[in-house]
Amino acid sequence: MAILEIENLYAYYGMAESLHGVSMKLEEGEIVGVIGPNGAGKSTLMDSIMGLVKTTGSIKLEGREITGLDSSELVNAGVGYAPERAHLFPYMSVRDNLLVGAYTARNDIEKNLELVHSLFPVLRERRSQETATQSGGERQMVSLGRALMTSPRILLVDEPTIGLAPKICAGIADALVRLNKETGLTILIAEQNVNFAMQLASHIHVLETGSVAVSGPTEELKSDPELAKAYFGH
Amino acid sequence: MTQILIQGFLLSGLYALIAVGFTLIFSVGRVLNLAYGAYIMMGGYAYFYAVHIWHLPKTLGFLSAVVVGAIAGILMYRLLVKRLEGDQVAVEISTLILAVIIQAGIVLLFNDSSKILLPIVNGVWHVGSTTITKNMVMAMIASWIILGGLLAFVKFTHLGRAIQAVSMDPKGALISGIRTDRINLTTWAISGALGAVAGVFFATHTQLNPSMWVSPLIIAVAVVIVGGIGSIIGSLIVAHIIGFMEIITSTLIGAELRGIFTMLLIIIVLVVRPQGLFGRGDL
Repeated sequence: MAILEIENLYAYYGMAESLHGVSMKLEEGEIVGVIGPNGAGKSTLMDSIMGLVKTTGSIKLEGREITGLDSSELVNAGVGYAPERAHLFPYMSVRDNLLVGAYTARNDIEKNLELVHSLFPVLRERRSQETATQSGGERQMVSLGRALMTSPRILLVDEPTIGLAPKICAGIADALVRLNKETGLTILIAEQNVNFAMQLASHIHVLETGSVAVSGPTEELKSDPELAKAYFGH
Repeated sequence: MTQILIQGFLLSGLYALIAVGFTLIFSVGRVLNLAYGAYIMMGGYAYFYAVHIWHLPKTLGFLSAVVVGAIAGILMYRLLVKRLEGDQVAVEISTLILAVIIQAGIVLLFNDSSKILLPIVNGVWHVGSTTITKNMVMAMIASWIILGGLLAFVKFTHLGRAIQAVSMDPKGALISGIRTDRINLTTWAISGALGAVAGVFFATHTQLNPSMWVSPLIIAVAVVIVGGIGSIIGSLIVAHIIGFMEIITSTLIGAELRGIFTMLLIIIVLVVRPQGLFGRGDL
């Protein structure tokens, strides 16, 4: 059974329809990438799964219909989210930011903190620092860490590399791969950075103006010369 | 000099208590709740009713003030603020109107004569030439304990951290599984309760009358504007600046001018440093 199954999803901001019938499936333990240009609807898709946008269609988590649940219920159901631009709490310490993530998963604090610190040891050293004074890369780590503190069954990651230097991106990529390998966590990544997404994901969905234009295993998409030229620039 | 120091600290302690509930709502909901002075008044009257009319013990008097304040906060959020979501001007106008309506309600219930609220603790101490009432000392101590408790609550509990989280980034709070609406409601209840408790002390310091909500509201607004958003410690410091300014003015110049400098300070800070002395920009 797919861990996440999206069928015919439409999303609306006020009167505007910004997703037009998106469907995709994620198997447990997979890393899946959603790529596409700015404004293609990647963040809307993530926000829709998180219950932050008005939608029609169906989203199922482990077979259970989750459309219409509020985001607090979704966090409880096992959706973790590291959104674009992180949305951290700037005048709280790293540790307090992580503890806010544990708001619904208070019994797992020790275990999850350990996981977060093992992925991002720098967060242990910087635990008392306010996130407003941190670098972009560290903020991204706190954002991922905060999402992991919710004890997720699936992790949504939106544009984790935006504005980061290549070396920092590589570090984030390593951490996500390790997380996936060591804990078996399913990860859905939205990225403009095509290479970053392809390096991690086994499946790719290309989103264009609110619809899925192409989908398939990463290797297949890479080897199709037409597609490679149109979407991946080489 | 000793007199200024002692009176300054006593008055500032009271002002800090008056301001903190107002600061809390401004930080979390980004709303200037101009009906905040009404909580203070209702708290005073609730205590008066419980202790002086029903002859209940003083603790029950405080408890009734807390309950009345918390209920007022909850109703105000549910019936008014939530429905006007996002429209700050509408919230400010309607909370101000609400304060005037509550004032009329108080006149109707208790008539418009002033009432003396007996001190919570009787007696005075003499320090040199200065006389200090034990009541004011108790108000200051209560203020410090309540503020310390609030600070610890906000820093070290899940609920307190959630309140901070909502004040700093509502979306970040939502995706962490926090029901921001419930946190807002809780904050309004806490703010109402804090205002009402401050009201009991304020009423014993001055007296009860239906227009007593205005001057503590000005103090609270001053503390928020001068202090800036989001810092309990900042509010505490500003409460001391304002308290000392008033005591110095009334000791050295004249009691009639005591409020003037507070209002001047509001205007100066608005012009020179709109984010407040301890404010965090537009956050």
